Amino acid sequence: MEGLNFLENRGLIALLAAILPLFSFVFILSSKRGGGANFALSTISLSFLLSMYLFSHIWNAEPEHKQFSWFMIGKVQFYAGILLNNLSILMMVLVSGISVLVHIYSREYMKNDPNIHRYWAYLGLFCFSMLGLVISDSLLLIYLFWELVGFSSYLLIGFWFSKHAASQAAKKAFIMNRIGDLGFLTGILIIYTQFQTLDLARLFGDGGLISTSSIENGLWISGSQQIPAIWLSIAGLAFFLGAMAKSAQFPLHTWLPDAMEGPTSVSSLIHAATMVAAGVFLIARIYPVFDPLVLDIMVWVGAFTAFMAATIALTQNDIKRILAYSTISQLGFMVMALGIGAYSESIFHLATHAFFKCLLFLAAGSVIHQLHHYCEKYKHNFDHQDIRLMGGLRKRMPFAFFGMCLASAALVGLPLTSGFLSKDSILIRTFEWTATREGVFVILPWLMVLTSWLTAFYIFRLVFKVFFGESREIKADKLGQISDSPVQMKYVLLILSFFCTFIVFAFNPASFESSWLWKGFEVSMIREISVYHWLVPLILNLGSFLLIFITYRIYVLDNGPQSMKGTWLYRISNQEWFFNEIYNFMFIRSVERLSLLSYRFDRTVIDGLVISMATLTKTISSIIDWFDRRIIDGLVNASGSLSRYIGRFFKNFQSGRLQHYLTTMLLVVLSFFILSYLI
Amino acid sequence: MNLLSILIFLPIVAVLLILVLPSAHQQRFKYISLGVSLIQFILSVFIYTRFNNTSAGINKEEQFQLIEKLPWIRLDLGSIGKLEIDYFLGIDGLSMPFLMLSALIMFVATLASWEIKTNLKAYFSLFLLLNTAVMGVFCALDFFLFYIFYELMLLPLYFLIGMWGGARREYAAIKFFLYTLFGSVFMLLVIIGLYFSVLNPATGNHTFNMILMMDPGNYIEGSVFSAIAGQSIFGISARLLAFIVLFIAFAIKVPIVPLHTWLPDAHVEAPTPVSIILAGLLLKVGGYGILRICFSIFPDSAIQSAWWIGLIGLISILYGAMNALAQTDLKRLIAYSSVSHMGFVLLGIASATTEGISGAMLQMISHGALSAMLFFLVGMIYSRVHDREISSFRGLAELMPQFTFFVMIAFFASLGLPGFSAFMAEAFSLIGAFTSEDVNGLLPRWMAIGASVGILLSAAYFLWTLQRMFFGQIRLKGGDVWKDQLVDVNTREKFALVPLAVLALLLGIFPSLLFDKMNASVLALVQLITG
Repeated sequence: MEGLNFLENRGLIALLAAILPLFSFVFILSSKRGGGANFALSTISLSFLLSMYLFSHIWNAEPEHKQFSWFMIGKVQFYAGILLNNLSILMMVLVSGISVLVHIYSREYMKNDPNIHRYWAYLGLFCFSMLGLVISDSLLLIYLFWELVGFSSYLLIGFWFSKHAASQAAKKAFIMNRIGDLGFLTGILIIYTQFQTLDLARLFGDGGLISTSSIENGLWISGSQQIPAIWLSIAGLAFFLGAMAKSAQFPLHTWLPDAMEGPTSVSSLIHAATMVAAGVFLIARIYPVFDPLVLDIMVWVGAFTAFMAATIALTQNDIKRILAYSTISQLGFMVMALGIGAYSESIFHLATHAFFKCLLFLAAGSVIHQLHHYCEKYKHNFDHQDIRLMGGLRKRMPFAFFGMCLASAALVGLPLTSGFLSKDSILIRTFEWTATREGVFVILPWLMVLTSWLTAFYIFRLVFKVFFGESREIKADKLGQISDSPVQMKYVLLILSFFCTFIVFAFNPASFESSWLWKGFEVSMIREISVYHWLVPLILNLGSFLLIFITYRIYVLDNGPQSMKGTWLYRISNQEWFFNEIYNFMFIRSVERLSLLSYRFDRTVIDGLVISMATLTKTISSIIDWFDRRIIDGLVNASGSLSRYIGRFFKNFQSGRLQHYLTTMLLVVLSFFILSYLI
Repeated sequence: MNLLSILIFLPIVAVLLILVLPSAHQQRFKYISLGVSLIQFILSVFIYTRFNNTSAGINKEEQFQLIEKLPWIRLDLGSIGKLEIDYFLGIDGLSMPFLMLSALIMFVATLASWEIKTNLKAYFSLFLLLNTAVMGVFCALDFFLFYIFYELMLLPLYFLIGMWGGARREYAAIKFFLYTLFGSVFMLLVIIGLYFSVLNPATGNHTFNMILMMDPGNYIEGSVFSAIAGQSIFGISARLLAFIVLFIAFAIKVPIVPLHTWLPDAHVEAPTPVSIILAGLLLKVGGYGILRICFSIFPDSAIQSAWWIGLIGLISILYGAMNALAQTDLKRLIAYSSVSHMGFVLLGIASATTEGISGAMLQMISHGALSAMLFFLVGMIYSRVHDREISSFRGLAELMPQFTFFVMIAFFASLGLPGFSAFMAEAFSLIGAFTSEDVNGLLPRWMAIGASVGILLSAAYFLWTLQRMFFGQIRLKGGDVWKDQLVDVNTREKFALVPLAVLALLLGIFPSLLFDKMNASVLALVQLITG
């Protein structure tokens, strides 16, 4: 009976699913060295099973909302609770499911690392924070988990902390995310001021406070409370800033490529599939707060990010860096889609992207892993993440090759893949939305199409360089030593490959409208224009295939146009648009200088003032001291001396000798007579 | 005997014991001190559990708890009336949390005193005297008594810094002493002025009773500080002037920019336990005084000055953080970070909203625990190798994993990682400051937004330090000698660190542990200030 009650209580199950990995974190960390792989894997698997159970009950059914009072300030009650709806339950399954796969993969990938227990513990903390983030029902709780996610990402990026670059990258990631957090916090301040609550259901639910608030005469009014309307836009922008940092949108994107210093399995889970999607998730979760101005900004930020990241990915040579920029680019697509109101398309793409990007990373990880072992075994040191040094691995690592090809196809959006459905849906919506807009918006869909084509180029450049042609660094006779990765990793690649196909998401490979996932969310308000529904995929795929062919000619047949190397376009792309240099100069240097300046100010001016006051007091007191000793005490001493002189003078008269007395008397009498005679 | 009196005078009993014990037993003194703070802690936990949450206190004498009121000095002054000084103790939601904090910090500071090797008799006598003074300040409700305890804190601190401190200890001790004395001397003038302005309605005498001073009805018509009379001194309203004088006296302790320069010097030169007490308790006396005295007795002037106090808070936050970023000495860095974090207290108080004042209170408790932890951690390094330059260390994480673990907790908790108390505290200080414009119009919204940059900067200086000292390859200034000296955390140190970390974590996850106790008081205080 009790067991049944437990299964009925969905809030509790969700809570348990989230807390299990935390338990794993605490347990593994406190039990010191001893692996922890099995423990971590079993807790996250259990979380996944619980999530699946919840999914089966809540998807497309009544949302579940459970809350309890957390604390009270003054007269305002704060609640903590769980809000399960289609969005959060989808994220739960996505996060826990991919986590399970990455856990399995990591058992081999991270084997023999001396600090492996910390790795499992941190993964547990991450899963806890991420699951907590998606099920939380209040902005304050979301913020709490939001930062915890950043913190666990900090720990995992800096997992190999004795590497300088890793600790540098971890710090950079945390601080850049902090900038976003400030935005999030500002949003919370505004929402709290306006509504005195941070409860998602009350704010954004049906008939929630946001939807009943109105803007009149430049005032944002909710009940008796009113503040200038500009704060609504500021709130939207502030939350968006938070999402930008987490989802690596321009201009806060530079931490993500650096975050690749962490283990590849971590990059795959956190910096490709789940955490970076948290920004998109946040926007979706609080969607009603964004007003048209903010949505337009979102469109351009997303579009620009997608384009910029794609151009950078064209010329990178580090296999993980290419994938990182590809992630940024795809997140740009999602953000842009949310901006135009293509809500379900964006979430759809988030889900499909999670799988194929995870697969891309894990396949790349297999390559890195095997090359690393080769390096160690044969004492042949080279940068085993540099695609220029690879080549010809297709036959040696068929599983990685297969996974990588399939995932790349999905990334580009080739037919029969999941990416075809989701990416094309976004582009179709973009065309439809633009039809209602004027001016500069006209270039938007074409910018996105261009970006998609660039995607085809950079990802197949990677595939061709790594898997085709001749091996460049490893001698052909040694190539035979490289084999596919261990069996656990291979299976994970296979499972993920399956999730990159259309069949998981829709029965009809050509129409995203048939997808169960897409239908799970409110259909957007954009007016459909049916011609785009076949024209856009056609244009897109024709272009993509053409580009893949060109890429093949350039990188496999070595038969392309002259190299672009050395041109300024190449340099901009290769140097990542110089963002790091610009930020370094504009912000880091200037803050450093400002801090030194303010410290000097503190020492010389403020403390100097105190010290000079002390000196002044000392000087004054020594003057007074001088005055006291020389003048006042001098007077006292002088009067003393005077009386002494007088006394001494008269003392001489009292000598006790009669001759003296007589002489004196004689002199006195004599002088008296002389005087009286004269006068 | 009342619980509060036991809490306050228990250390004095211990001092007497230490004084009569021969120096041969001096190794036992620390255990006496430890025992005292442990008993105090148990007592304060007892008080905490028995505390009545609904009884507000603030300006209602009957709502205070554990009241002890004895006539102390009664002197017939002829025409001026009868001098009425009471031994008057009592606690409400504003003071009760500090009793627990004091006992805890004293406990930790005693554990840090293991490193003191010279003249133990004098050291522990002064140390326990300080304990009495701190406890007394938080319990006293008679202004005269308050002042005595308040000044009594200075004396032991002066000697503790001046005799057991670092190389420039005498300079730092005198600087600290004069700085704080400067504030409190003028405070005495205000106390006398208040004394002559306020009548005890029950006895008809002038009184030092703080609670009576909060009721405008008790002021003599036409007296200096009567709100109705509106007297002025040098063209400034007398009440405003008195408020400013009191505020400066307490603000020096907080400290505020630009009256903060005693703090880095005092912290750097003080021995570890004294740094812990300075940061953990002394600064809080400043914040507590502002709430209990400045804002409660002069609410009208508080509202007039709120904008400026908020601005000072904002400047302290940003300026302290900027300076912390520039430091090369770990202890000095933490000292400046204190300036920054205490700025949130001022900002929250200035907002005069329930959120802001609750946040400020939580920030004081939270910073008390976290700064004690930080200084304890610095002390651990310093006692091992007698160096605390950031650049002298690198890669400590590999050498001292447990130490690094505690440092990470302290750093991340201080930089406001959610789950720890500082996050809740800073968030609600900011919420208070932000809503203030709508609730009472005291602070503009940009102050809260500007202050949130402080949170970013704190992440920058803490993470930078973490990266420079703890990550990367091991590279120590002292080479292999240091490698042997830098042993990991021992049991005694864990006993000190774990309670602080647990407190920070508990208050971060269940802030209601504190908020429930002080909600009534905070509401009453806000009511008193904003009317």
